[in-house]
Amino acid sequence: MGLVCRVVEAAGIPTVCVSTGRDLTALVKPPRSLFVNHPMGNPFGRPNDGKAQTAILRAALNLVAECDEPGALIDFPTDWGESFEFRVRETPKEYQLKT
Amino acid sequence: MDPIRYVDALAEKYGTMGFPPYDWSQYDDAPLTPLNKPLTDCTVSMLTSGGVSQCSMPAWDPDARNDFRLDEIPADADSGGFQIHDSYYDHSDADTDLNCVFPIDRLRELAAAGEIGAVAPRFWSGFMGRIYKRRAVLEEYAPAMAMTLKADGVDIFVAVPA
Repeated sequence: MGLVCRVVEAAGIPTVCVSTGRDLTALVKPPRSLFVNHPMGNPFGRPNDGKAQTAILRAALNLVAECDEPGALIDFPTDWGESFEFRVRETPKEYQLKT
Repeated sequence: MDPIRYVDALAEKYGTMGFPPYDWSQYDDAPLTPLNKPLTDCTVSMLTSGGVSQCSMPAWDPDARNDFRLDEIPADADSGGFQIHDSYYDHSDADTDLNCVFPIDRLRELAAAGEIGAVAPRFWSGFMGRIYKRRAVLEEYAPAMAMTLKADGVDIFVAVPA
């Protein structure tokens, strides 16, 4: 996705990436990123919490309007309220070996 | 809490399965196109890579490799009419409310309230993970999508990886 943002931005359209993986985003360096320290399935917060969802989306849009520093990675102020972990289901071996 | 270190976590998981560390794309600089108009005049589109598809479309294959499928989603799509198939994150909340990962209702509200100019004619779902042919993304699929974004008059592109 970072790569996609880089291509779209280079084509002349300002982009913003809303990321839950700070280290991954820092490597790829999309043009502008908003890091939200939430579980990967909740970049915009909890279900039916429109207020928080809007606040995060608005912060992302404002970042496009206000930030001219290439590769900026800005932390959205948030506290998920409980700890969460990296979680991944085991991928079947036959798929792992598929190219 | 401190941000999860996904690079380390993934290297550990796949290392124990016998795979070499993933060669992440790494850049020291980034392109930048300044926004040349106020947000209130901007047309906005959005992309998710979270295995999100309309129920009228086939489900995504969470285990696929190099899947360059890219869905166009009409701007007025009902957020209740989607399915999510991705085994690399917990999407149980997004199953309840799509806006957790793909806030199309929230974006439409911002347009209705005049905070942004308009929602683009289409949203996007694609560029799932496990794409190893990065050159195809950089030279073929992403540029093709950028052309369509331009044709749609998109001023701001919001990407939400998962």
